[in-house]
Amino acid sequence: MTAGVMPDALHDPPLNDRPVAGNRADESEDIVIFPQGATQRTDHKKASETVYDVVVVGSGISGSIIANELSRSGKTVLMLEAGPGEDRSLAEYEAFLTRFYAAAAKDNQCPYAPNPNAPMPLSSDAVRIWPGQPDSATYLVRNGPMAWDSTYTRVLGGTTLHWEAKTPRMTPEDFRMRSAFGVGLDWPLTYEEISPFYAQAERELGVSADVETQTFCGITFEPGYVFPMRGIPHSYLDKIVAKGVDGTKVELAGEQYELRVRAFPQARNGIPHPDYNGGKGFVPVGAVSTSQVEEGGRCQGNNNCVPLCPVQAKYNAGKTLAKALQTGCVHFLAQSVASKVIVDPATGRVSGIEVKAYRDPASPRHTTWTMRGHVFVLATNAIENPRLMLASGLASSSGLMGRNLMDHAYLLNWGLLPEVAGTFRGTNCTGGISDLRTGAFRRQQASFAADIHNDGWAWAVGSPYSDLVHMVDQENLFGARLRNALPRRISSQLLLAFMIEVPPDASNRVTVDPAHTDALGNMRPVISYTLPDYTMRGACYARQLAQQLFQRLGAADYTLYDPTDSQYVMYEGQGYVIHGGNHLAGTHIMGASPATSVVDDRQRSWDYENLYLVGGGSMPTIGTSNPTLTLAALCFRSARHIIQQLRTETSLTLTAGAPTGAA
Amino acid sequence: MSTRITTVEQLREYLHVAMQLEHATIPPYLTALYSLRPGTNSDAYHIIRVVAVEEMLHLTLATNMLNAVGGSPDLTAPGFVPSYPAFLPDGETDFQVSLQRFSRQSVQNFLQIERPREAPDEQRRLFHRSAPRAQQLAVAPDEPSMRYYSIGEFYAEIGRGFRYLHQEMGDVLFSGDPARQVTKEYFYSGGGALITVTDLASAEAAIRLISEQGEGYGGRIYGEQRELAHYYRFEQLLLGRYYLAGDQPGQPTGPAFSVDWDSSYPIKQDAHLADYPAGSEFSNAAITFNRGYADFLGLLTEAFTGRPDLLIKAVTVMFRLRDLMTQLVHNPIPGLDGVTAAPTFEMAAVAAVSS
Repeated sequence: MTAGVMPDALHDPPLNDRPVAGNRADESEDIVIFPQGATQRTDHKKASETVYDVVVVGSGISGSIIANELSRSGKTVLMLEAGPGEDRSLAEYEAFLTRFYAAAAKDNQCPYAPNPNAPMPLSSDAVRIWPGQPDSATYLVRNGPMAWDSTYTRVLGGTTLHWEAKTPRMTPEDFRMRSAFGVGLDWPLTYEEISPFYAQAERELGVSADVETQTFCGITFEPGYVFPMRGIPHSYLDKIVAKGVDGTKVELAGEQYELRVRAFPQARNGIPHPDYNGGKGFVPVGAVSTSQVEEGGRCQGNNNCVPLCPVQAKYNAGKTLAKALQTGCVHFLAQSVASKVIVDPATGRVSGIEVKAYRDPASPRHTTWTMRGHVFVLATNAIENPRLMLASGLASSSGLMGRNLMDHAYLLNWGLLPEVAGTFRGTNCTGGISDLRTGAFRRQQASFAADIHNDGWAWAVGSPYSDLVHMVDQENLFGARLRNALPRRISSQLLLAFMIEVPPDASNRVTVDPAHTDALGNMRPVISYTLPDYTMRGACYARQLAQQLFQRLGAADYTLYDPTDSQYVMYEGQGYVIHGGNHLAGTHIMGASPATSVVDDRQRSWDYENLYLVGGGSMPTIGTSNPTLTLAALCFRSARHIIQQLRTETSLTLTAGAPTGAA
Repeated sequence: MSTRITTVEQLREYLHVAMQLEHATIPPYLTALYSLRPGTNSDAYHIIRVVAVEEMLHLTLATNMLNAVGGSPDLTAPGFVPSYPAFLPDGETDFQVSLQRFSRQSVQNFLQIERPREAPDEQRRLFHRSAPRAQQLAVAPDEPSMRYYSIGEFYAEIGRGFRYLHQEMGDVLFSGDPARQVTKEYFYSGGGALITVTDLASAEAAIRLISEQGEGYGGRIYGEQRELAHYYRFEQLLLGRYYLAGDQPGQPTGPAFSVDWDSSYPIKQDAHLADYPAGSEFSNAAITFNRGYADFLGLLTEAFTGRPDLLIKAVTVMFRLRDLMTQLVHNPIPGLDGVTAAPTFEMAAVAAVSS
């Protein structure tokens, strides 16, 4: 209707020369509005006739950060999103919420309509895998031995819509696991090198945390650094648990550790720190819409961060994408599934991305286009990135494309506290035990961080709904007695979720198989995954520690690992149920040499100099850190290099007098 | 009796009235907001909500100004909450501020509250109105029979008073305890940052923010902080289209949206406790709400007199007040053909019961 209103660098060349980047401090004062019509600035035909500076595949956090940074340098960007993506308005976001409220099964994907053209895995898809019998009934083909139950979301904004928004930095030792502990791999980057980019990511995501509680396990900050916002306060439940945990001493591999309940840094809006940015402070970004709304400036503790924050106090990539689209340099095409990365054999460079565009998610009818640019960025996730590369026949010269798939292994422990602890007052998670995130014990067994879940047993058994059903069906409660009993029971629930590290292992991998395709004919990801003994030793220890802590708290242990559960695993005669954490990583790991890695420390493909594979897939280890903050930091770093590469290559081309843009 | 601010005491009086005035718009906006049927009218919901939140900002700005000059905010003072319907003192008798359901009529009422008006000339900034017929707001504090031409003019006089007294007294004027200032940490939203008032410049900035956000003083629809003025926010509801930066008044070019005017609960307009049978659940619920609201104003008073951290606790209380309000709004009063209950905001009744 008024799609032409926004300045559009792509059809208005002088805009390319305007002052860009600007003063970032001032910029953060801007009200972030999703520009009206921004997702409709081009169509497939026009886009295919344009040579963009950069083509970005995926509108999640990685793609949005890179698009925003590049467009602020005046670079033209085409962003492709496989799933649906209209202008992000509050009405659209609220439609997600309505769907979620109405859903019987409130899983991570319940806010979104099913889409066979860009399918999303569900945790509930996972079934027990029997040897030699892969499960191909749903989108992810599960090859075993373990059933992979992690998920990701394919809509505008990606998986940041349902993430929990914990943002711990990795410890310095996580970056040199091989040298420090003889396990896993070393990064081609050190903590010190990535630290300034962590600070940049903490700004973009709007992290609430206090430096005093986050300086541990070797993690350090620049002198005088403060987070954008003060730490989210501990829940009452945290404080109850702290009474039993704080001061507990444990011995591991000959070293003693003292445990305490410590806050997690979180990308959700809290109280801005007045000292941030040299005293300029920080303005939180709340809900994003095509019109100004006044919501989400601060977390309200609604406690359904997962699957969807009702007020957008939790960061989602739509906030960064809105800023990118405000530059006018970004074109966006939704419902466009990248189906092939095309390499020009003459130059050895990527020449285009083949895209299948569909109108109706319910129909496989589509048109096929080739999008061109100088640089290509694959920013889907650690499963879809290697899936696309392998489906394009690009296995990488190292042979490592798709290998070293990682996730965190979650061991849940649930019990009832002897007192009402205010469980179910949000946000989802405010504190936990992080003191065993690193130490000499990592030579033998995996490290972990433990979350105290403010949503009680929800993850383990489906509380509070399961409690209600049990009380009605099994305990014959109704009326006033039921009304009184239910809150009492659920507000004493304690769930300790141990997030255990999984080291890289080449046999954990994503592959493709022409026998398994989706509605559009794209090859589906085939997942082979198991947990190494290193991780299981960590799980075994975590279980014992949980039992010890429950005892100290006087909590009755209700933990029951059901042998029929798809996630049931045996280790040294004991059975455990171990869930994935949706922390997709590995699969195109970075390294110092093309023989041992897929990308370099800039996340640039060793094989194709104008191709970047970005996101969790580039991480050679994940330690005990939820990976989003780290991958965001990597993307800020890569954006700098991409800008540099574009400058260098453009000036070379100009010197050579060759025409740019063959369109 | 002066209608010119010449003493600090007068300035404090004016700022008390400013707080009263800013607060007085919140009950009608919240009543309309919570009369919307859940799951409908998302755009209307958010438009009204933004304005209500900004009125809370204005109230806080007024308390910061008052604290800066050594005054002591008191939201529990008798008469702080008006008895609705109540006149605004802009010299017109064609409307009263009223507690009603979301409807074209209530939005018209909101436009009247927020409409931009500048006095034609200096002489007519104040004028006389005899025989006040109902509750009145923002009278010239020293001169109960005088009315300001508009809220904007009322704030213009406060600005003038600040400048005059600063000239007379110097920085001694701002001798209030800085620890009483509510800082950005405790009140912020997507746009319209809180201003702490410690000197003349910050006092003037606070006045400017209130005026620009309210009615777009000076004829501009967007203020300095790039905020759309309230008048134009409400106007969007009648026009069915959002304003964008750069638009002319009356001609928004943003996204279109639809308003379902029938999708609100038909609440009893300007309800009073007397409308509910004594001892009925309605009466009890309305009394519970009024008590809760009185306690809330007490909490705010505490927060504004040296405990800004209590504003965090106040957030939880506001959620509870919302729930109490919706309980009333969603329930039809027996014998009134579907008309539903509404909160009455009668603080005097609470005081009478508790004393």
